[in-house]
Amino acid sequence: MTTETTDRNELSATLRDNAEVAAVLGRRYEAGFVTDIETDSLPPGLSEDIIRQLSALKQEPEWMTEWRLQAYRHWLTMPEPHWAKLNIGAIDFQAISYYASPKNKPKSLDEVDPKLLETYDKLGVPLHERARLAGVAVDAVFDSVSVGTTFRKELADVGVIFCSMSEAIREYPELVRKYLGSVVPVGDNYFAALNSAVFSDGSFVFIPKGVRCPMELSTYFRINAGHTGQFERTLIVCEDSAYVSYLEGCTAPMRDENQLHAAVVELVALEKAQIKYSTVQNWYPGDEEGRGGIYNFVTKRGDCRGDDSKISWTQVETGSAITWKYPSCVLRGDRSVGEFYSVALTHHRQQADTGTKMIHIGKGTKSKIVSKGISAGRSSNSYRGLVKVEKGAEGARNYTQCDSLLIGKKCGAHTFPYMEVKNPSAIVEHEATTSKISDDQLFYCRSRGIGEEDAVSLIVDGFCKQVFRELPMEFAVEAKKLLEVSLEGAVG
Amino acid sequence: MSQAQATPFVDSLLQAAAQTPLPSSGIDWLDTARRENLDAFAASGLPDTRVEAWKYTALRALGQRRFVLGDAQAAARAVDAAVFALPGVDGPALVFVNGVFRADLSCLDTLPAGLTLSPLSQALQGDAEPLRFALSRHYREGGDAFARLNAALAGDGVVLRVAAGAKVVAPVHLVFVGAPAEDDIAWHVRHVIELGEEAALSLVEHHVAVGKHQHLGTQVADIVLRKGARLTHVTLQDAGEGSTLVRHDSVQLDAQAQASLYVLELGGSLVRHDLHATLAGDQSRLETRGVFALDGRQHVDTQMAIRHQALNTASDSVWRGVADGRSRGVIRGAIVVAPGADGSDASLSSKNLLLSGQAEIDTKPELEIYADEVKAAHGATVGQLDERSLFYLRSRGIPLAEARSMLTAAFCRAVFESLPNAALREHIDHRLMEHLPSA
Repeated sequence: MTTETTDRNELSATLRDNAEVAAVLGRRYEAGFVTDIETDSLPPGLSEDIIRQLSALKQEPEWMTEWRLQAYRHWLTMPEPHWAKLNIGAIDFQAISYYASPKNKPKSLDEVDPKLLETYDKLGVPLHERARLAGVAVDAVFDSVSVGTTFRKELADVGVIFCSMSEAIREYPELVRKYLGSVVPVGDNYFAALNSAVFSDGSFVFIPKGVRCPMELSTYFRINAGHTGQFERTLIVCEDSAYVSYLEGCTAPMRDENQLHAAVVELVALEKAQIKYSTVQNWYPGDEEGRGGIYNFVTKRGDCRGDDSKISWTQVETGSAITWKYPSCVLRGDRSVGEFYSVALTHHRQQADTGTKMIHIGKGTKSKIVSKGISAGRSSNSYRGLVKVEKGAEGARNYTQCDSLLIGKKCGAHTFPYMEVKNPSAIVEHEATTSKISDDQLFYCRSRGIGEEDAVSLIVDGFCKQVFRELPMEFAVEAKKLLEVSLEGAVG
Repeated sequence: MSQAQATPFVDSLLQAAAQTPLPSSGIDWLDTARRENLDAFAASGLPDTRVEAWKYTALRALGQRRFVLGDAQAAARAVDAAVFALPGVDGPALVFVNGVFRADLSCLDTLPAGLTLSPLSQALQGDAEPLRFALSRHYREGGDAFARLNAALAGDGVVLRVAAGAKVVAPVHLVFVGAPAEDDIAWHVRHVIELGEEAALSLVEHHVAVGKHQHLGTQVADIVLRKGARLTHVTLQDAGEGSTLVRHDSVQLDAQAQASLYVLELGGSLVRHDLHATLAGDQSRLETRGVFALDGRQHVDTQMAIRHQALNTASDSVWRGVADGRSRGVIRGAIVVAPGADGSDASLSSKNLLLSGQAEIDTKPELEIYADEVKAAHGATVGQLDERSLFYLRSRGIPLAEARSMLTAAFCRAVFESLPNAALREHIDHRLMEHLPSA
């Protein structure tokens, strides 16, 4: 063994010890304890050493470290993509700290931006949750935590594994090894490669054969989910005939110090399995001029590996300064089904380039895409989708509908659907419309005494109904409110 | 870049350009524009499929081929005028064989009042200044390699002007004949077409072949419609089986101008058509109608971009595609509504039939909307003949093959229904019927 590796091992051990110590101390002395930043975060920058340290900090096995390094080496060879219809400021990847426990947390709600609190009020977020959402560093015991533990027991009884990715790597290495990167390979795209190299944490869900997950799983309920980090990695595996519905995010705006979020979500559905994945994304969109705000560059892909499997994506995207995500389905199994329902709302100077890919490989595969884009202010909202029917996809069927609604004169709404068909028995249909809120509809509402802003949100709600219907009930109610809040000031 | 320069295609054309001086050189600005465009082409070479506009059309095979620049023997090639005779098209005609103007085949004797029509080579000998704006254009987009090549090497083409208020009723016939030669020839034609205020013109652009050849033809056309002008433009592309044809049309419509563009793509082995239309004036209207019917190993790629940038403009596009054999049909239809272009009404429909397991159709309708007082919609489908319709016809004693070709023809025919020239419409229907797969 060379001295260099010995040094590195020692260093990792020291860091690990420090991290553990800091974590323990942090819990006990939260109010007054000032953590030494050097002990629980890595210096900014990205290199093989940093990745090794990160992996060591997270006590990962050797194969995981190697996996990360492989991704990193690939990432180095890739050019930053510029094809999306987005205006992205230069990202300095060396200026980011790839492992940092959240710093500069406000110490109480009094220090939190009053605007944020106002929004919570409007959304009806319970008081005890507001602190958590605002990222206040108080160690209160929330209902959700205790609720979470009860859930865990119930899940364990039916054999469902639901834990953080770090835990999964330690506890279920063979499962993680088998499926991680099998849907989104390490070198898939620029941001997926980056994520594979430096992902901090995420969720791991495993539903064994024939099990119908007894409840809707949500990151929100997961213990230790307080700060999942900017490079989130989620892996959901559904074995034969299993079913799960997974909710990601929440409707209340999340405060976050990190500008760049590059998450990867992988779904694997084996024979007759069904996965329903719902997202409500409401990260900080920046101020009215677009300053600050999160870059949300996400790779989400589901693989219908088994026959008769089904993957359904539903998303409500209202936050982030820049959203760049295309939840996709690879319909490999015969008669597998892919669905994509999306509402993307942009306001002020937000930019969204989002859509889906449906890759039909198996026979008799079906896909359905419903996308609703709403742009207001000076924002830009694009749908970008690909429907690809491979030669063997006998009898494949796709239906795509994407509608855009414009509110205001300075926003943009765009549609870029790609259709590639190689099988003569396939039927692929695409329809798109773009319009503004019709004056007739507005007039009708107003003549019945509904105020302008309420009328607009009523119409917008109707416009999005098709997608909201696919959301789990409580989410749907919140999503509606969320749109109202997000559209504030868009009219008049 | 250096790799692009190394391809035989680029190599052969650059060499040819260095050896043969172009006709009508000596005009300073034209020589400069030609040189600059050639340099740009030399630097970029042919685009690869990573360039978005060429995503579905690979030029690797073309890049490996060598071409001779222009046909020195064009004047002597035997061409029977019956090849390009069209019913309902009896106006003046301009005929080019392998890109070279043939006065003997053309008909320029009795031009209607208000119409100026001459080959580019002649127009440049007179006062070239009016052509300066169009011919000094630079093509800067990454995928514009052929337009650059054309701007650098086109020695001939069509210069057509309709004076303000003049109505040219009998269709003007522009014919491009590909004739077999000793080598594979690359020819380039450049058109400048302008309709004055309130002028009207009916134009038929016709690509045909006599015998087998594998030439490359490029064509760049700048078409301008001044206020209130009306244009009906029919393109009948019946080029030779093995030929490569690249067309680049820019159409500009000023206030209240109206253009109807009809395109029928039947021939060629590799065909690319870029159609860029700009609705630049208030209340201008554009109608595009197109059909491609492919078989064998044909590859036809249509890239249409319609830009609304004035008030109360309208565009309506209807395209149908049929792909059989091992062919590949590509159609992109982009609609852009610029900021402030309120009252725009844009629609596009692209329906396609995929008739064979080896064929492929790629369609990409796009909307880019920056104004809110708009109506914009597009629809695209890829599918096959309706089983129930087939069953209906068969239950009435029509054999399967015939039923299929009837339905396929009906699928395409609707596109040309609005074409006012009945005789020509009938001919197009007939050509389409002949061309469609009967099995």
